[in-house]
Amino acid sequence: MLELRLVQGSLLKKVLDAIKDLVNDANFDCSATGFSLQAMDSSHVALVGLLLRSEGFEHYRCDRNISMGMNLNNLAKFLKCAGNDDIITIKADDGSDTVTLMFESPTQDKIADFEMKLMDIDSEHLGIPEAEYHAIVRMPSAEFSRICRDLSSIGDTVLISVTKEGVKFSTRGDIGTANVVCRQNTTVDKPEDATIIEMNEPVSLTFALRYLNSFTKASPLSNTVTISLSSELPVVVEYKIAEMGYVRYYLAPKIEEDDEETKP
Amino acid sequence: MGIKGLTKLLADNAPKAMKEQKFESYFGRKIAIDASMSIYQFLIVIGRSGTEMLTNEAGEVTSHLLGMFSRTIRLLEAGIKPVYVFDGKPPDLKKQELAKRYSKRADATEDLNDALKTGNKEDIEKFSKRTVKVTKQHNDDCKKLLRLMGVPVVEAPSEAEAQCAALCKADKVYAVASEDMDSLTFGASRFLRHLMDPSSKKIPVMEFDVSKVLEELNLTMDQFIDLCILSGCDYCDSIRGIGGLTALKLIRQHGSIENILENINKERYQIPENWPYQEARRLFKEPSVSTDDEIELKWTAPDEEGLISLLVNENGFNIDRITKAIEKIKVAKNKSSQGRLESFFKPVAGASVPAKRKGTRCTLAIPKPVVNPKMYSLEASFHSKPKAIGSIGLPSVDLGSRQAMVFYRSLCCGI
Repeated sequence: MLELRLVQGSLLKKVLDAIKDLVNDANFDCSATGFSLQAMDSSHVALVGLLLRSEGFEHYRCDRNISMGMNLNNLAKFLKCAGNDDIITIKADDGSDTVTLMFESPTQDKIADFEMKLMDIDSEHLGIPEAEYHAIVRMPSAEFSRICRDLSSIGDTVLISVTKEGVKFSTRGDIGTANVVCRQNTTVDKPEDATIIEMNEPVSLTFALRYLNSFTKASPLSNTVTISLSSELPVVVEYKIAEMGYVRYYLAPKIEEDDEETKP
Repeated sequence: MGIKGLTKLLADNAPKAMKEQKFESYFGRKIAIDASMSIYQFLIVIGRSGTEMLTNEAGEVTSHLLGMFSRTIRLLEAGIKPVYVFDGKPPDLKKQELAKRYSKRADATEDLNDALKTGNKEDIEKFSKRTVKVTKQHNDDCKKLLRLMGVPVVEAPSEAEAQCAALCKADKVYAVASEDMDSLTFGASRFLRHLMDPSSKKIPVMEFDVSKVLEELNLTMDQFIDLCILSGCDYCDSIRGIGGLTALKLIRQHGSIENILENINKERYQIPENWPYQEARRLFKEPSVSTDDEIELKWTAPDEEGLISLLVNENGFNIDRITKAIEKIKVAKNKSSQGRLESFFKPVAGASVPAKRKGTRCTLAIPKPVVNPKMYSLEASFHSKPKAIGSIGLPSVDLGSRQAMVFYRSLCCGI
């Protein structure tokens, strides 16, 4: 038996908007500690990890670990039926092939329930080792989103380099080049507007902007974004969900090929 | 031709060894492809109407070039790194099979002439397809084309399938793509079917994992080879009256062909005289392949001028289309430098398995859009037809047959 009650129903809508561009089908795993998801995009270049801890729900009951396979576009169709202030309750019986979504209006004068069919999804879980990152950048999520959007109109890939000077995003395309440098800035009115750079070693890596752009769909979840970079590892782009968990994206870098291979 | 009925046998008895994958998920992977098989398919399918073929000004057939060119671009665009392997000299044992095909082709030529006389269009098309033969010229044309495209070409000393499998075993490529189930018998660790089906068909790629096949069937590799020989392979006749399922039963019971021959009822099953099963087994186990470390697989930039001269000047392709296609190759080249997550994070074995709610859920949930309720009813009627299923046991049917259905739509294509 699974029963989760989330007062802030709009949160679930935002979470779904943040992941449905990247993956079509995914398993939601529920355990006593929380509600989580791990899924890769179809070309296995990017991975999204979601965690909503049980403490963040008004009511959380999960007797047995269950994994619910859903088509995210279908789930989005259901969640569209929920108002932004609605309280969402997710219910599933053990061994059932459906999940029930219940939407209650804040004034309790309207209750709607929906039953969605589940599907069997064969997916691999990747083990993500804890790692020390060479550089960690924390910046306003709107700023990051803006940079990715702007650069993608000029080029396909972005070179992210972190030095003592700050973090630099650069791209190159048929029409020209672009560089955006963000310096450390902690003298701001609101703490979420700060740009904080922790660097152990300078690092620079190239990524496909297409993926970063779909990561920025998570911006409504959090005012700040944390970008962790290491030269041997995929970049981690994390949006924290207040008091509940996070949405984390992992993206494999572009590989520099040997000179030999690029010669004709 | 491959192994008779192996797909179905595996679908019913080792469903876990097969996985549906998306075409895109092979991004960045190196894949070995049996070129001769592909060329054959192109000659049959592309640009054919009646006995007319796609030709250049000199009247030489160019279907294979067009096919090879567009298919390779499709793979490159998906970030896949193809390696084409060409057949060498066929092993002696295959000569019998080849002679059979030759005579079939001769029959087809006769039938074609008859059909031409009577003017039956369907027959003309049918028989002219059967007269198709891949010549050395076709092979050489394709090799030249691929080299100009910057795609590596490997020439096998003997069977291309065996060489593909060897590349896969040596970890030089990620998987072997073919429609020919032989690859599994040759021991290719990962084998893909339908990788090169047109995307319009929407058939998912089917990935076979040979270690899982063995695990599920509970056989050793040697026993699996014996099973394939008994089911019917290219190298020797099989025993009349023994199909895949009986073969599996016998192998499980007796362990090897030798023991089976000792214990089997010889009056009921006629064993061919001088049955060369040991030779066939040797061909599968130790095929003549080049295991040189010198085989270097390199994907290079396309030779633009060379391609234009070959395709446009010599074979009359439209220059605009070819230049556009070359542009596509160049873009794809850049794309293939994207890394895959698996090279950083390793899959955790069985992490999602304990979370499954019910063992029998496959029949309840609708797993993929390919399987709609209509197909279930089809499936039901399929299973009620005793002729089609023979003596298949029912236990694994719910999962297995779903995959089997997908297979029945596969290309029935033999060389």
